[in-house]
Amino acid sequence: MRMIKKAITWGTVKSPWIIHFNAGACNGCDIEVLDALTPRYDLERVGILKQGSPRHADVLICTGAVTLQTRDRLIQIYDQMSHPKFVIAIGTCACTGGIFDDCYCVTGGIDSVIPVDVYIPGCAVRPESILRAVDTLIAGLQEKKGGEHHEA
Amino acid sequence: MLLFLEYIFKIFIFPGVLFLSVYSFVLEFTDRKLYARMQSRVGPPWYQPLADFLKLIGKNVIIPADANRFFFSIMPFVSLAAVTAGFMYVPLFGTSAVFSFRGDLIIVLYFLAIPPLAGFLAGWYSRGVYATIGATRILTQMFAYEVPLFISLLAPALIADTWSVSEITAFYAAHPLYTLINLPCALTALIAFQCKLERAPFDSPEAETEVVSGALVEYSGRLLAFFNMAHSCELVLVVSLFAAIYLPFMTGIIWLDFLLYFVKTLFILVFLTLMRASMARVVINRVITFFWTFLSPVALGQIILNLLLRGVLHI
Repeated sequence: MRMIKKAITWGTVKSPWIIHFNAGACNGCDIEVLDALTPRYDLERVGILKQGSPRHADVLICTGAVTLQTRDRLIQIYDQMSHPKFVIAIGTCACTGGIFDDCYCVTGGIDSVIPVDVYIPGCAVRPESILRAVDTLIAGLQEKKGGEHHEA
Repeated sequence: MLLFLEYIFKIFIFPGVLFLSVYSFVLEFTDRKLYARMQSRVGPPWYQPLADFLKLIGKNVIIPADANRFFFSIMPFVSLAAVTAGFMYVPLFGTSAVFSFRGDLIIVLYFLAIPPLAGFLAGWYSRGVYATIGATRILTQMFAYEVPLFISLLAPALIADTWSVSEITAFYAAHPLYTLINLPCALTALIAFQCKLERAPFDSPEAETEVVSGALVEYSGRLLAFFNMAHSCELVLVVSLFAAIYLPFMTGIIWLDFLLYFVKTLFILVFLTLMRASMARVVINRVITFFWTFLSPVALGQIILNLLLRGVLHI
């Protein structure tokens, strides 16, 4: 039984499938997320695949200060993912609300709606920081700290 | 008793379930690595398909409230079982499969038709919008490739004068030059197989940019793992069947034939991957048009040619 659990943890560490959700970002961070998926950075090297369906994905990559329009959809997408699941907040807006904080139509950061595992500040973030975030998430998983908060 | 044990070994270990699943991981990795190299990427490490499978095994299964629980959870296993059963009738090395009888080519073709049908039912009983669209696309595409595929697999059988895969392999191994006659239908079969496997340019049933991931959109965890496994096992079955019918070259030495099997299957896989990497997705109605106006006539022409060769020239 322990062997099987170990094998499954190994699989989880080696194959994080991501889904990308734009919670009202200006598109700057989204372009950088797609940039990280291009052949130049080639995230498939570490087993990362971009999935279309939230049911298939393990890691929810979120950008943007959550607007009131996207809040319910973000929660819905998060609920559609199956356990174990992780969330990475990409960009300053996603971490804290950024320059849109306290705006009338913004809830201010992903963690005001759903639990976040890794924060990456930056405006816009660079693909290297996204790689770093995934690395941090994986390192956290290996130490069996998945679910706690990390700073990247 | 000994015969019984031998069959158990053949079904579950070699060349049965264990070999099939291990080789499906190998082929999936080779496919993804080649695909990555063709896009000048590094590509995944060798253990990637295994890691994906183990991870999905460990995840929770979510069954949508509207879905039919029974059909939703049984379909991955139906698909996998059909592929495994079909694999028993295909000779891998040498000329004898685990089981063979007169007409087992038809059985293999019907087993090959079950995974798309299982995919259709899986999508249909998920009751999701994207899943339903993907499911209908699977069925629509089936109408496109099934006829050219059947015709182009039956054309070699006409010359060999048998409906059994093992006997076809034995015939062409004895007369290697006759395989050259079947080159046109080998091409149509390759394209039809690509369509059956739902790989680009015929991947509109699971087109990520249009219908998220088609019929399997609601699947998660263990069920998705077995669907993915069934899909790569189908790739192994298709490639082995293609090698058995169109590339039946043998040396007669058993270990050399075994090596040759890997060479042949990887050789075919290179073509399938090249097609996937170099072409963009075709719209579903153009898939139908293409298959009915180009591939079916070529395959039919092959049938007529083979009939003439057999009837008039008595080869």
